[in-house]
Amino acid sequence: MFSHSVLNPMSPQGQAISNLFIFLMIAAGALFAGLPLTLAYTLPKYRHRPGQGDPPQTYGVLKMELVWTTIPILLLIGVFGATISTMRIAQPNAIKTVDLTVIGHQWWWEYRYPNGVVAANILHIPTGRRLNVALKSADVIHSFWVPELNGKMDAVPGQTNSLWLEADKPGIYEGACVEFCGTGHAWMRLSVVAQPPAQFDAWLRQQARPARQPSTAMQKAGARLFAQYACASCHLLRGRPSNTHLGSKAVVIAPDLTHFASRPFFGGGVLDNTPANLVTWLHDPNLVKQGVHMPNFQLTPSQIHELTAYLESLT
Amino acid sequence: MNTAARPSTPLIPELDTPLPRVTDPTGLLKWIGSVDHKQIGIMYMVTSFVFFLFGGVEALLMRLQLSQPRFSFLTPQDYDQIFTMHGTTMIFLVIMPMLIGFAIYFVPLMIGANDIAFPRFNALSYWLFLFGGLLLYYSFIGGGAPDAGWFAYAPLSSEFNFTANAGMNYWGVSLAATGIGTIGSAVNLMVTIWTLRAPGMTLRRLPLFVWMVMLNNVLILAALPALNSTFVMVLFDRLLHANFFHVPSGGQPLLYQHSFWSFGHPEVYIMILPAWGMISEVIPVFARRPIFGYNFVAGATVAILLLSLLVWGHHMFTAGMGQTLDIAFGISSMMIAVPTGIKVFNWTYTTWKASIHFTTSMLFALAFLLQFTIGGVTGVMFASFPVDWQMEDSYFVIAHLHYVLMGGSAFALWAGIYYWFPKITGRMMDERLGRWNFALAFIGFNVAFMPQHFLGMIGMARRIYTYPDLPYWHLLNLISSIGAAVLAIAVLVFIWNLIYSYLHGRVAGDNPWDAFTLEWATASPPAVHSFEQVPPVRSRRPIWDLNHPDRADWKNPEAVRGI
Amino acid sequence: MSDKHVMGMSLFVASEFVFFAVLILAFVFYRQSPANIGGPTAFNSLDVPTTGFYTACLTASSVTFWLAERSHRRNRTGQWHALLLVTILLGGAFIYGEGREFADMSGQGIVPSTNLFGTTFYALVGFHGFHVAMGLIVLLTVFGISLRSRFFRGAAHARAIRTIAIYWIFVDAMWWIIFPTVYLWSLGNHGILGEPFKAVPFR
Repeated sequence: MFSHSVLNPMSPQGQAISNLFIFLMIAAGALFAGLPLTLAYTLPKYRHRPGQGDPPQTYGVLKMELVWTTIPILLLIGVFGATISTMRIAQPNAIKTVDLTVIGHQWWWEYRYPNGVVAANILHIPTGRRLNVALKSADVIHSFWVPELNGKMDAVPGQTNSLWLEADKPGIYEGACVEFCGTGHAWMRLSVVAQPPAQFDAWLRQQARPARQPSTAMQKAGARLFAQYACASCHLLRGRPSNTHLGSKAVVIAPDLTHFASRPFFGGGVLDNTPANLVTWLHDPNLVKQGVHMPNFQLTPSQIHELTAYLESLT
Repeated sequence: MNTAARPSTPLIPELDTPLPRVTDPTGLLKWIGSVDHKQIGIMYMVTSFVFFLFGGVEALLMRLQLSQPRFSFLTPQDYDQIFTMHGTTMIFLVIMPMLIGFAIYFVPLMIGANDIAFPRFNALSYWLFLFGGLLLYYSFIGGGAPDAGWFAYAPLSSEFNFTANAGMNYWGVSLAATGIGTIGSAVNLMVTIWTLRAPGMTLRRLPLFVWMVMLNNVLILAALPALNSTFVMVLFDRLLHANFFHVPSGGQPLLYQHSFWSFGHPEVYIMILPAWGMISEVIPVFARRPIFGYNFVAGATVAILLLSLLVWGHHMFTAGMGQTLDIAFGISSMMIAVPTGIKVFNWTYTTWKASIHFTTSMLFALAFLLQFTIGGVTGVMFASFPVDWQMEDSYFVIAHLHYVLMGGSAFALWAGIYYWFPKITGRMMDERLGRWNFALAFIGFNVAFMPQHFLGMIGMARRIYTYPDLPYWHLLNLISSIGAAVLAIAVLVFIWNLIYSYLHGRVAGDNPWDAFTLEWATASPPAVHSFEQVPPVRSRRPIWDLNHPDRADWKNPEAVRGI
Repeated sequence: MSDKHVMGMSLFVASEFVFFAVLILAFVFYRQSPANIGGPTAFNSLDVPTTGFYTACLTASSVTFWLAERSHRRNRTGQWHALLLVTILLGGAFIYGEGREFADMSGQGIVPSTNLFGTTFYALVGFHGFHVAMGLIVLLTVFGISLRSRFFRGAAHARAIRTIAIYWIFVDAMWWIIFPTVYLWSLGNHGILGEPFKAVPFR
């Protein structure tokens, strides 16, 4: 059950917290266990037997009060020490350089790399490197959580929080937004894809390229539809001429689609990225993910297929 | 009557201003115009119980929706309103008013008073509670129920365009109304306890339920006004487009959180203190001996009161307060575990060398001990804030809060109801039905909420209307939903027991349990004028002294010395 | 027994301090926000001398009410009524002054939605004014009843008067926390630690 959980961490930060968690469970469990054990002794032994009168009326023992005041205090001092040392491993106090900016939106995650690459929902990181992550929000409070890698940190509008993100081994680590942020909160999931540094660099270079030109007739028709319906007024497509004058300082509303086809899922995890699912989405986004801000463009089936062909060509 | 052979004792002085008397109303009118603390106490209890059923239905709807991955029984808009209303209802319309209702009914009786300090103000507090609750539920048909969660973080709750409907306006106004009523009750109970005690009832001889209510009043007076300020700020933002939490104008969401949790943390203690008081009454009576370590139980609660005003930031460990504040709140939150532990140990040791009667009330109290402690233990784990960084906002928190609030407060209320029902109605509750109630509740509760600890550990967030088909998520959610269904059956058995016992229960007599405190000196149910004469109070257990004169506490040097 | 009313009102008043404390903290916290630069602030938007005059009215009303209570206890009905009336007029002047101030400021475009100053100012000062208004209604009610009936006359119901006094003095004491924080502190255009603000004049 715990193969993908906080108890099977894949990072030094996750490991530190997991150790603390297990230490606390054992310590607390031991302390707690005294309770049912005591009751298991007293309840049968001192149960009322018929004809038995009331027992001797005693009022307490001072020594016992001192014992069970002192022992928890000593245990808690130990807990405090463990807490501080875990804190130092798991979270930065303030970061000086920023390796990655994560921005929460209703209801998707935006990632900005230092070289200008902008990705959405699926976050690629290199293994073996501790990244300083700056966490922001574009609207309400969200929270970024990948249980196997580290504790969470809230994305609060108006302030920048910081987090360390690191993965020991390559793999895919699931996460989600965990601060209630409105109707689409349940489908604001994310994935962290950790790759060996060479592969990560290759991926980053690929992502930095502008959007692929459409090649087949269907794709070209789709590209025309993309311009005609002004999709770029919300979804940036780097390198393509757009008929809106956005520029790089524009307010980001929706996920960057430049390399849409390279993502395993979309819609914050509500659907896997397949042509069939994209058709369903484009038919009526609100039917798939209620509350989503993307309007229903009332596209005809042939328009939907053309647009799908184009978007699925954007690797 | 127990008081027959006693020497005459001073009567409780009459109220200065005679209460206005409507010409002998009958039926419903008698209740609507009542200023009698016993009737108002019953009104609080009945009204809270009705809201409990609403909150329970909301919970069952949620558990049904979550029983399968990607289930579409409820839309997210519906689900968001339901989970918000479930939390808001259970906290503000069930636990608080139910505990206050018991306090209003029993505190005057336990201190030997014939009424509460301000009877009309007492009635006003009740009607404010009812009005607030009705206004909140009206929202379902009046524009939409609140949907930003019971603690309603800004800016989600404070900006009109971030929430789906006008429900948060209802949230602010209704809860402000109930909050004012609650503040009124706290003033009333505090003045009652301070000024209307029977002669001989010093503070150190107060029943522990009264101690807890007294300390609870301080918490209410310190915390509820902060909630009202928070409502002012949110409603200003929503209705006047003000900037308290409007980020583009410089508003800061963390101000909301500090302001809200300054109320919100004391609030959770407000929901448990009177429950602790009930447990402190029930366990000694059914163990047939005084509570172990009275002074330490009372003193530990004072420590908890002071500390509870200093721990609010532990709800914000993941909000980015900075390491200094994290450490400070971590320390205070760990410290509060110590006095809480002291109380649990004292309750447990009251079963030592006792003579335990396993009445339904006692069964619920013993389950309370186990369940509340589990909740307390996970609470201390959260105080170690790196663990909080992992477990906050996940189902681990939901498990924790239900273990303390349901496994704790609700079970304590069940214990208190089974204990005091004979006094309120004059009839005993049925023990067989009671055992069924207990067994179903105990099993249902633990089956519902223990798996949620694991769901949290494997990554399930709270407040999501559905989830993907990840390993074990379906199974654990399904088990939890089944537990909820069993709990619902337990509640039905309980309702049946209430009705059956009220109509056909065995006549109780004044003191069916041979209990220890002054309320058991009155008739069952008490007359309108509860006490003609108050028994002499020479120790913490005046009725034990009366009924067992050769073993009276005031004759026992150990009791007189006190511990 | 007579203490219970005093105790009850004192507890209620103590809880109201907490209510105002949160709004005061919000005001102080947002006072230094750079988001206020270029807009109305306490420094450039408040007329301290005028508000100071109305403050004096409110403070005087506490004194006159205390004297009124004393006259009532000594069964001097004429004096009691006169001093109560003066209290009401002084309290009414305060409300009038505050109302005029709000009207002037909103006429200049300073409303709760304007900026952080507008928001926190109206919330804090507004709710205080609301509390004063509620007290004024009670005073008017007592005055009216006392003129037309035997209640609140001749040392009867002295406890009720004492209870009202606690409330009235509380709203005055509250103002003596709010007035320096909002108005007097604005005179120097300084931050919490004395650092000068960079705000520019609004008008």
